[in-house]
Amino acid sequence: MTGRREHQVAVGQAVLPVELTPDAITLLRFGAVTRNAHRIHYDTGFARSEGLDGPVVMAQLHGCLFYRAAAEFAGESGQVREVEWQNRAPACAGDRLVVTGTVRSVDAVGGEVTLDLLERCGSGDVVCCRGRAVVVLR
Amino acid sequence: MVTSTVLEQVEERARASLGTWERRSLGVVRAEDAAEFARAAGERAPHLVDPARADFAVHPMYVVSLLRGAPGADAAEFRPDGMYRDEVPGTDGLDVRLMAGGQDVRWVGEVRAGDLIELRRALTAVERKGVGEGFLLLTMEKVYGAARGPLVEVTERFIVR
Repeated sequence: MTGRREHQVAVGQAVLPVELTPDAITLLRFGAVTRNAHRIHYDTGFARSEGLDGPVVMAQLHGCLFYRAAAEFAGESGQVREVEWQNRAPACAGDRLVVTGTVRSVDAVGGEVTLDLLERCGSGDVVCCRGRAVVVLR
Repeated sequence: MVTSTVLEQVEERARASLGTWERRSLGVVRAEDAAEFARAAGERAPHLVDPARADFAVHPMYVVSLLRGAPGADAAEFRPDGMYRDEVPGTDGLDVRLMAGGQDVRWVGEVRAGDLIELRRALTAVERKGVGEGFLLLTMEKVYGAARGPLVEVTERFIVR
């Protein structure tokens, strides 16, 4: 998508999906590198005692997927200015996470493009995060 | 005598801390650590996962995902659930369930390897949500900066049940 410019982007245009299936190993690695020892992310018994189905994906890992979707849309010469997401339902280790989206608005003067983003998890159609991103295209 | 619930205790404590800014050092950003973060997040973009590249960049989500800088924390700094005692205001020592509610991350500068990162944060809103006792939604403003100024602004929400 290198070379994309805001005048080539239309409201409603799709954001190419990005996906990740974080397993228990992924969660352990991500928790270690971020120094996140919250037991809901690796201790199955504890996670269930909290009412969860099992160890759950960290909020920041969801954020990384939202960021990647925005960055790939912006392309190598573009820039991600903002990423926002709200957690709607927990995603468990082993769930396939897919972020999709559409262009909400285009500011032809400032060059900013706002994307609506949605993350679905698991084999069903559960929405685990909703959010948006603002990118600048060059 | 009225006995307050645990959630009421959290709410009272949290409201008392509203608007109080605190500082925390996250240490110096190392390229290797940022690359390890990117790989753990499933990133494949070469400029984010290979610190030997000339165009290597610190993953923009790296510092905002760090709960602590090196060398980490002492055992006494953790709650029984593994979260840091001071991470979610008002919850230290109380048997409550903590969940992330979401974030709004706004980049105003570029985090670079070698940056000494300081986090400033303040609780800015305490809301009771849901029916019955419901849950608390805590909103926190965070600013990550280095010597040259602010780099990332974050609005973060915590759910306390």
